[in-house]
Amino acid sequence: MSVLTLERVSKRFDRTKAVDDLSFSVAPGTVFGFLGGNGAGKTTSLRMVLDIIRPTSGRIEVLGRAPGRANAPEIGFLPEERGLYRQMTALDTIGYFGRLKGMTSADAKQEGAALLDRFGLAANSKTTVDKLSKGMAQKVQLATALVNRPRLLILDEPFSGLDPVNQGLLEDEIRRMSAAGSTVVFSTHVMQHAERLCDRLLLLAKGRKRFEGTLDEARAELPARIAVVAKDDPSRLDAVESAEDRGEDGSGWRRWDVRLAPGIPPGDVLEHCVAQQFALRRFEQVHASLHDVFVHIVGAAETAQ
Amino acid sequence: MKNTLLVAAREFRQIASMRSFWLTLVIMPLSIVIGAIAPQFIEKDEPDRVMVIDRAGGGEARAIAQRLGINDDRDALGDLSRYVQRHHLERADRGAPWAQHDRWYSDADVAQFNASGGVSAAKAKIARVKDNGTPEFKPSKPAYEVVPVPASLQAVPDGALDTALKPVLKPEGKDAKPVDYVILVPAAFGESPVVRLWANRQPSPSFVATVQDVLTRDLRTRFLAGEGVSPAAAQGASAIAPALAISTPPPGGGAKEAMLVRSILPLAAAYLLMISLMLSGSWMLQGTVEERSNKLLETVLACVSPEELMYGKLLGTAGVGLFMIAVWISCGIFAAYATQGAISDFIRPALDPLSSPGTIIAMLYFFVVGYVAIAILFLAIGAMSDSMRDAQGYLMPVILVIILPISVLMQAVLGGNSGGVLLEVLTWVPIWTPFGVLARLGLGIPTWEVIGTGILLAAFTAAEIVLLGRLFRASLLAQGQRPNLSEMISRIRAVEG
Repeated sequence: MSVLTLERVSKRFDRTKAVDDLSFSVAPGTVFGFLGGNGAGKTTSLRMVLDIIRPTSGRIEVLGRAPGRANAPEIGFLPEERGLYRQMTALDTIGYFGRLKGMTSADAKQEGAALLDRFGLAANSKTTVDKLSKGMAQKVQLATALVNRPRLLILDEPFSGLDPVNQGLLEDEIRRMSAAGSTVVFSTHVMQHAERLCDRLLLLAKGRKRFEGTLDEARAELPARIAVVAKDDPSRLDAVESAEDRGEDGSGWRRWDVRLAPGIPPGDVLEHCVAQQFALRRFEQVHASLHDVFVHIVGAAETAQ
Repeated sequence: MKNTLLVAAREFRQIASMRSFWLTLVIMPLSIVIGAIAPQFIEKDEPDRVMVIDRAGGGEARAIAQRLGINDDRDALGDLSRYVQRHHLERADRGAPWAQHDRWYSDADVAQFNASGGVSAAKAKIARVKDNGTPEFKPSKPAYEVVPVPASLQAVPDGALDTALKPVLKPEGKDAKPVDYVILVPAAFGESPVVRLWANRQPSPSFVATVQDVLTRDLRTRFLAGEGVSPAAAQGASAIAPALAISTPPPGGGAKEAMLVRSILPLAAAYLLMISLMLSGSWMLQGTVEERSNKLLETVLACVSPEELMYGKLLGTAGVGLFMIAVWISCGIFAAYATQGAISDFIRPALDPLSSPGTIIAMLYFFVVGYVAIAILFLAIGAMSDSMRDAQGYLMPVILVIILPISVLMQAVLGGNSGGVLLEVLTWVPIWTPFGVLARLGLGIPTWEVIGTGILLAAFTAAEIVLLGRLFRASLLAQGQRPNLSEMISRIRAVEG
């Protein structure tokens, strides 16, 4: 059973289609990356999941139920645009959101205090938000999302605006939640975070799904590349689409950047080398970065439109 | 419901944590107390000093002094009569003139009052029957004090008095007491009617009338005597005066005065509704704008529905408003029962409407529903504004539309006009209904009108909650320019499925 399912969901604002026929599902315990550029429809999709806005068409199921505030006790949410009540103390703020998520006052305060302690803010629990530094306030915001130990944690561009220390803290919390069995869905356009954290990815462009799968499956979307050191030009080998000479390595051999034809695994090329007695000093597969995949898929989609 | 209460409690706490809230809470009763007490300090404490230079034998000076004394005693008797009537103390001595409130007290009544011991004797009689809760009678101070003519002025010729009296009317030195009025009765008075009056300011009409009355009587007596009428008959003819029987409403009990006193509480409720609405409404607006400008709304809306947020805010703000009113009324009740004198005299009769359950229910209903009907306007403004500057653009016209007719309405009610066309119209316009009905409750408003306007107000508020609720929901996460009227209408018409 999936934790989150969207079936053919669309959302239209006046003449703009923000989300177009989007379908995907998220399995329990997964860290699911929701990737896309600005205006791709990520925030709109997440708002629909939280019932902050309603879809124009399609079906959404969250934790086996329709979207709604009844799910709030099991959901943690950190929006892209974050803020806090300036006159409330750190602990009261976390306690307030805990209570809005159905916790008792005592439980919310206890969990809030534990989170502040873990984030190094125990001494500031009674400090009003307007007196906290930006970094401290960011930790308090994260604590409001985690206070109810959610089964589903939804983070909208969680790394934007965070300093490197808090980025690390957030990554640790995402891993901690995942290890504890929670499902994490987060949107981002910073590919490094998704690469480090996500089990599965969904690439969105102009409101439409362009890709869904694992990181390896995403990389497979790009033609494989091999770094080769050889005396001869590898382009004469079968299955090689092109080979770019990168110069001599200093000992009479040359470095080559080899691009394979689509769908050809690098092992096949190695076999050809052996069969054709093609002399090699180095043969190394170069993995495509998620950034490259993103630019390849989303860039092509946006160019097409 | 739980979320609504949580939002309301947070809203209440947020407003209650503001310094301006507590300042306002204290300033209002303080200003009422100062308003009640201040006139006592401002009022002139000293009687006007009168000097009569009588060069016609001294009879006129004595007559003027006697008349001024009788007038002061009549005032004391009148005050005492009102006091006895207000506190129902006639049983202290039913035969005494101060226990009879049906006439203008004649000189004979005053003489009888003085002969029986005056104020102190009356107070002794009253003390035997009055309960401990009834305040003591405090007679007003005499209006005039007749001062002797100094020897230095006795010899000054009439023509030189203008100069000689200057230091008397406006003496130098801080502690020197001026004489307010100097009257010269020339030696030829009788043959000539001329009398001179010097005053150190515009003379009081009542003082001039008193002096004129005394001297006219004397001139008339002299004239009649000159016509051959016996001196006794001539004097008797001059003293003839009608016995004036009068009916006035009892203090705090009858007709217009009673209605005005009974109007104090409803009028105060209308006024407090306006003040607390403006204050707590703008605090709520600040809170909503803060939620928008601090990017808080999305986090909140993930946990509570827009409706819960709206109802919670309304409830929290109404709670603040009612708390303010409760504190102010408690201060009033405390002042009425824990103090004596001006404050309690002012407040106690005004609390009479609280003895009528119908009035209490009507006051509470129109107060609470009126509060919601207007507070929701502030809420919608807050939801559409990214900053207080944005909000001011909507706020000022709304406040003017609410306040301007109310000030007209209150003036009309204070003038005792409870049934004018303008008042009727304002009472039936829902946005002003709470103020109109509350203000008119004391003066008397037909029951059917209270029920009719109550139903109309409830329907209007329900429609507001639906329509402005849509505007609130649609505006919460909307971005971009401040919406114009057509954008607002399209937000109201757009219903999310």
